[in-house]
Amino acid sequence: MPVTIADYQNDVPNQWCPGCGNFPILDAVKMALVELQLAPQDVLLVSGIGQAPKLPHYLRVNAFNGLHGREAAAATAAKLVAPHMTVLVHAGDGGGYGEGGNHLLHAIRRNIDLTMIVHDNKVYGLTKGQASPTTPVGTITKINPEGVTARPLNPPALAISQSCSFVAQGSAAHKEHLSMLLAEAIRHRGFSLVNVLQPCVSWERVYTYAYLKEHAYELGGGYDPRDRWAALRLVLEPDGRLPLGVIYREERPVYELRGSTHEDVPAYVRPVQPRSIETLYERLR
Amino acid sequence: MEVNIRIAGAAGQGIQTAADLLGRAAMRGGLHVYHYSDAESRIRGGLNFSHLRIANRPLAGVSETVDVLVALSEDGLRAFGDAVDAAGMVLCKGQWSHPCALPFHLDELARQAGSSRAEGVVAVAVVAAMMGLAQRTVSELVEERFVKQTQLMAANKQAVELGFAAVRAANPDERFRFTLASAEDNRLWISGGQATALGAVAGGVSFLAAYPMSPATSVMTNLAQWAAQTGVIVEQAEDEIAAINMVAGASYAGARAMTATSGGGFALMTEGISLLGMIEAPAVIVLAQRPGPATGLPTRSAQGDLHLALHAGHGHVPRVIFAPEDIADCLHLTAIALDIAERFQTPVLILTDQLLMDSQTALPPFDVDDLPTERHFLSATQLDELADYHRFAVTADGVSPLAAPGASRHVVVASSDEHDEAGHIADSVEIATRMAQKRLDKERTIATQVQLPLTLSADPAGRQLVLSWGSAKHTVAEALSLIDNGRFAHLNLRQLWPFPAAELTALMERATGVIVVENNVTGELARLVRAETLRAADTVVTKLNGRPLTVQELVRRLRGEV
Repeated sequence: MPVTIADYQNDVPNQWCPGCGNFPILDAVKMALVELQLAPQDVLLVSGIGQAPKLPHYLRVNAFNGLHGREAAAATAAKLVAPHMTVLVHAGDGGGYGEGGNHLLHAIRRNIDLTMIVHDNKVYGLTKGQASPTTPVGTITKINPEGVTARPLNPPALAISQSCSFVAQGSAAHKEHLSMLLAEAIRHRGFSLVNVLQPCVSWERVYTYAYLKEHAYELGGGYDPRDRWAALRLVLEPDGRLPLGVIYREERPVYELRGSTHEDVPAYVRPVQPRSIETLYERLR
Repeated sequence: MEVNIRIAGAAGQGIQTAADLLGRAAMRGGLHVYHYSDAESRIRGGLNFSHLRIANRPLAGVSETVDVLVALSEDGLRAFGDAVDAAGMVLCKGQWSHPCALPFHLDELARQAGSSRAEGVVAVAVVAAMMGLAQRTVSELVEERFVKQTQLMAANKQAVELGFAAVRAANPDERFRFTLASAEDNRLWISGGQATALGAVAGGVSFLAAYPMSPATSVMTNLAQWAAQTGVIVEQAEDEIAAINMVAGASYAGARAMTATSGGGFALMTEGISLLGMIEAPAVIVLAQRPGPATGLPTRSAQGDLHLALHAGHGHVPRVIFAPEDIADCLHLTAIALDIAERFQTPVLILTDQLLMDSQTALPPFDVDDLPTERHFLSATQLDELADYHRFAVTADGVSPLAAPGASRHVVVASSDEHDEAGHIADSVEIATRMAQKRLDKERTIATQVQLPLTLSADPAGRQLVLSWGSAKHTVAEALSLIDNGRFAHLNLRQLWPFPAAELTALMERATGVIVVENNVTGELARLVRAETLRAADTVVTKLNGRPLTVQELVRRLRGEV
């Protein structure tokens, strides 16, 4: 039986604002999983706290909705324990780049086979409009009445500089393209960071659907994502337009393949064998 | 008979190596050995010591007695020379003097052996010879130890020759000579940290994530060393917050998961402990205590985090807290903790401390046949028969059927938000009430089913009831025996939560008085006893300096109380 969108439907009441940029991202995730013919029981979505991290509840799938910012850490362990699972991480720009910034750095270092999707709407939505790590300088918020002065983080540049093995940018206003991008990120063996530009209909008035439609463009066939310096130039020297697509990729050894001796026995049925400690006694004499 | 040997010197002088060699040599000679170490937080210099109690009966208390002082540094001689009385013996360098100094010296013999770095092995050989241990045993240990360091091996083997020869030539009296038992010995030379790691393997651990922090690091180090043999996944996390969230993720995915840390790292983990409570994820957390607050005394020991462990995590989190009473107990309680954590889908905390983690002893192979071996997840077949699977299904005892993601066609949903039985975010009055009640039901189930036996030294009727916990056991017991065993009933608690309030209340009512002894600044067990039994202890013996309680100080302090 082929996997269809219907397999991923559930009836959990949605808590997002009408028109939220998370809706097309949710659609794109389902479309990508169907495109890859992955069954819901073989897919795990890991998230933290915020509006974006509620996404795993709104499709029928294994879901670990943990603590704010700790998505990558929890997902890393789940993938190590259950390497056959396809593991996606959903975070907002607050959780992924603020509270969880350290975990992102180390997920990149490990190159564990996770697809981390950061819903980057450049604002803290659920806490009512504060600046996020990616909010542009000058943005007025209740906490920054004179405008944000800290420079926004440049997530793709950060990831490329650390040899993140797959760095992409998508847009919630380009759903079809996003679903293809997510499928490619999931297929990639290693850690994938997909920064998704997303409108916030309640707090953010700049990055609207219309703005994204007008300023974003899809990287064409002439662009080589294996050229690290070209990738860095693309994200460090913006020309006012927003590139969408695979910005950088490289092949690196995948972390969880370093191997456990019990790979063929799922962790939840692995036997408890107290006498197995006897094989360690020779080290203690 | 008992010999207390203290090897003192600077960090980097090989104190630990010497203590390890001497301890193993005594073990292979059939003797009982207990070794604890006292070290500063530095890699070179300062003043450290290792203290070995070697006897022909089991011993595990911390003693201040020094029968034999090996002073590798002048500071070491100055610090502990006065502790050696006329019946004692001092082994030091030629230019230092002590009334009990031997006629031959560490530096001269090491020089003759070919390396000043052989002083520690000279000391091992001299002390071993004095105790009547076989030279061959010490030589073999040196060969095993220095197998990868050819030059040091030669010098150290020569040091063994010279040390034994010096003792033969000096023909000392036989006050430290043991009558040795059978040389056949299958015992293990093991630390509390190693026993904890071994207990984790015995309890079926499949995942550990941790961030290095003294005195907990040895759990991760040993499991990593054994990983190829055991298949345990060991992950060095980027910080303790990552470690506990990795434990949560691994546990959700079906692993028996654990971490090990000390107070500061544990403090960082507390939000994660709350998460474990909310998503009902099994997990074992080893909290190896050291004195705080803040960085405190990083290499020292304390029992000062009991209330941190009791209350860690916002909201109400069911939990179990064990405190192993000695090195063997580290193994048993860690193994049992992994089972209980999975059975009741709850965090289990194991409180040890620097004293317990770093101490070493010789133990016979463990009897593990009574340890639990059951897993508590639904099988694929059981899951297939279910029309629906709800991770947080309400049950009579509050414990929901446990399933791992990927085990069946059902999906498994866990949420740190309050959730419905299926795991999805919910905040209605009805669901919030039902789920809070479910977790309380589970807590009650845990309270009735997790009850380690209470082991009293005597019936407290007509006696003073002395309460201690965890690593203090043997030191307190030895001190009481030196004062007058007939006046005390000693109870060392290994389970701090759920608290055995009813049993303890009954015991306290029978006793003539209650004395609590613990190595912390406020009396944390005493406070817990008062809260749970509504009865205050008559005397609380505490300690401020981050050093372990000793037999001698307890004798001094408790004599005044009885």
